[in-house]
Amino acid sequence: MHRQGRNGARMSDRYDIAIIGAGVVGAAIAFELARHELRVALLEARPDPGDEASKGNSALMCTGVDTPANTLERQLVRRGYERYMREAPQLGLPIRKVGSIVLAWNGEQTATLERELASAASDGFDTVEMLEARDIYCRWPNFGPGIASGLWIPGEAIVDPFSTPYAYVRYAVANGVDFRPNWPVTSAERKGARWVLSGPQGQIDSGLVINAGGIRADRVDGLAGFHDFVVKPRRGQYIVLDKSARAIHDVIAMPAPTPETRGILISPTIFGNVLVGPTAEDVDDVDDRSVTQEGLAQLCHAMMRMVPALAREPVTTVFAGMRPATDKSTYQIIPRVQEGWITVAGIRSTGLSAALGIAEHVVGLVPSGMMRAKARAALQPISVPDLSETSLRPWQDEALVAKAPAYGEIVCHCERVSLGEVQAALAAPVPPRSLKCLKRRTRVMFGRCQGFYCGARMQKLFAAAQETRPPHG
Amino acid sequence: MDSEPQLVIVGAGPAGLAAARAAALQGIQKILVIDRDDAPGGLPRFCNHPGFGLGYAAWPYRGPGFVRRLMRDLAGTNVAVECSTTLISVREGPAIEIVGPRLGNRTLRPRALVLATGIRESNRGNLMIPGARPEQGILTTGQLQQLVARKVALPDHIRRLAVVGTEHVAFSALITARHGGLRVSHMIGEEASIRSVAPARWMARAFGADLILGARLREIIARNDHVTAIRCETAKGLIDLTCDGVVLTGGWIPEIAALSGSGIAVDPKTRGPVIDQAMRTSLPGIFAAGNMLRSVESSGWAAIEGYRAGNLAARFIQGRLEPRQSAACLTAGDGIDYVVPQRWDPALTTDRGIPAFKPSVRVSRDIGRAQLCLSRDGVMAWIGSARRFRPYRRIQLDLESIMNGREGDWQLSVKPR
Repeated sequence: MHRQGRNGARMSDRYDIAIIGAGVVGAAIAFELARHELRVALLEARPDPGDEASKGNSALMCTGVDTPANTLERQLVRRGYERYMREAPQLGLPIRKVGSIVLAWNGEQTATLERELASAASDGFDTVEMLEARDIYCRWPNFGPGIASGLWIPGEAIVDPFSTPYAYVRYAVANGVDFRPNWPVTSAERKGARWVLSGPQGQIDSGLVINAGGIRADRVDGLAGFHDFVVKPRRGQYIVLDKSARAIHDVIAMPAPTPETRGILISPTIFGNVLVGPTAEDVDDVDDRSVTQEGLAQLCHAMMRMVPALAREPVTTVFAGMRPATDKSTYQIIPRVQEGWITVAGIRSTGLSAALGIAEHVVGLVPSGMMRAKARAALQPISVPDLSETSLRPWQDEALVAKAPAYGEIVCHCERVSLGEVQAALAAPVPPRSLKCLKRRTRVMFGRCQGFYCGARMQKLFAAAQETRPPHG
Repeated sequence: MDSEPQLVIVGAGPAGLAAARAAALQGIQKILVIDRDDAPGGLPRFCNHPGFGLGYAAWPYRGPGFVRRLMRDLAGTNVAVECSTTLISVREGPAIEIVGPRLGNRTLRPRALVLATGIRESNRGNLMIPGARPEQGILTTGQLQQLVARKVALPDHIRRLAVVGTEHVAFSALITARHGGLRVSHMIGEEASIRSVAPARWMARAFGADLILGARLREIIARNDHVTAIRCETAKGLIDLTCDGVVLTGGWIPEIAALSGSGIAVDPKTRGPVIDQAMRTSLPGIFAAGNMLRSVESSGWAAIEGYRAGNLAARFIQGRLEPRQSAACLTAGDGIDYVVPQRWDPALTTDRGIPAFKPSVRVSRDIGRAQLCLSRDGVMAWIGSARRFRPYRRIQLDLESIMNGREGDWQLSVKPR
């Protein structure tokens, strides 16, 4: 750790590439660049990776069927999906391919779905098919009445939205990328053929800058004098139902899309809950992740219509996420290679699915003269904990518990997280720097009691870990 | 514990510890009490103020004092208390899967099982309260109590709390906040009077908390990730009460997640297991007691129930409790929140050595003076005398003499005027 001991001092480090933003997209770009002989910095304004748009989404790995045809978005979601299905398991990330069903209640919606099917088929999505109402009710008897037809997309999957950016960052760091949390960029200055980025923690200079600033990408572009788009944040509220709800509903279900939105979906989560959301609200403040009475009422209404039996299930929590939409309807991937500044913005709601596709595409935009791939054998593999409800949990692993009894001491009872897992997360190479991040890394306090039982103990463990760690280490 | 315990008790709160004592007094040799927390005591462990154990003990202990008393009662017995050990699942047998740092992940097959897993409070998510979602500052009483008891400091910006709710536990939050160096600026309640006992009002005033009744929490307001106020709906319209943190109190939920898939019948009214007057659940050899049966009774009452369950579980192990022949069903009708127990085995009478037990009932709202009535298979069988019934108070009825050994579907309701 060559940087330790320089804390607080203003510094100017030289990089080949600086990525601004460690959301799922920035993290995936770092993951990709880590395979090359480059000095790469990954700058994140927040204390932890994946702490903005990437933490509040529907947690789906989409095939791309429902993206607009002939767009970069469709191409990259598709590529991202392909790569995720292949590469995520190597990083320890869980995937459950539960499939999704897009529902129509009337002839007009059926026609919309048939158009989608035709567009998908002509693009080579060959497993997608229309289902009649009878088949739908036969497979999923808990759907509410009145469904006319549905579009069945068997490839769609649920994944861990929190561990995904974390795994990318872990891999990047293990392979030489400098991850710098708490590093907001407040100015960007062109000096010769390079950029000098400054923030409260100091300065770095870099030959190329990749702006993956998510909901603040327009402000970051503004620092460099580029004003091609404006972020129009779109808030999405969600209800998370108790794990008992999965016995009623275990498929991704959504209404036929309208030109405005994909609508409110009901999906199982990889952690074993059922998720209802998102709403789609244009808001002024990118940080306003409030839930509202109207929003929650809308979600309850959707639930009553699609799967009425879920209305009796206990609610575990409510939350809101922010989608990084812009005033443009398409991805804003702007390669200003001459200026050494690549913007990757406007990823809207497909970031998690498309990230690896976007990363590959963006790395392809980097002048090839800069790139020299590392030898395969030189790459350090990593693996993050699998937090999926349906995998073997550490407390179930008899050999592990016998060897390390802390894995048999469950401290979060709702999610059945052991003390051993919490200790391991706190000691990880990219440790959680906020309590919320510890939740995302381990699932503690995420369950039905939301910290009633374990909150105080977790806070104590977290605080103790902070005291023993150097501030930026 | 080297060999299989004869009796396993899940939960080392008042009900579980009292159950262990009762079973030990009956001569059961190998008793194992497991608790998932890091020390025994259940919720009273974190309530450092008087008001615990009355009814079971002669005077009101402080929470931790009552726990010490319950543990003292086990001195010299064959009861092993194993903490940090979690119940994973329950199956007919009884068979239970547990995991703990010392016992590992294993299945136990005791002769009998007493479940006493207690309750938790509803949190912001469960209640779907709209508004901002700052990282810190929205708590339940249980969380606040543990933060104070475990000496975990809240961030400096959290100094003034608003307490939502007026059950006993809300006043526990008031006292706990003071112990933690925090001030409660407001207490709000939805009803026109507080749910706790009347003198609690004076305590709120003495503590400097502004008690606002007839107010419903509508939204949590925050700025820069810090709570700044709660917005409440009152008869005068919406009002904002300034505070840096919110404590949501009460709204208790029985903790029965580990029972899912067990086949143990759960009462939709109480959200806890269905029991009969011998504290037996619907599965043979599995007993239940304490607040997991319903929310919420005092720790003293939980201990009384636990003692009864431990005693009867011991009789079951010794072959001195007749198996269930048949049972009358007791259900809650109009105006009644719940009845516990929900089954009544006519064969188990006091003259056969089964200690007497009266069903306990709650009315669902403040109905003033009223009469309760009991019907059997839809036919009125009994009408009680008019008296004042208050919600949130245990009402005990001597129904055994009325039911008089008869089976059938018995429904208790408030007699319409």
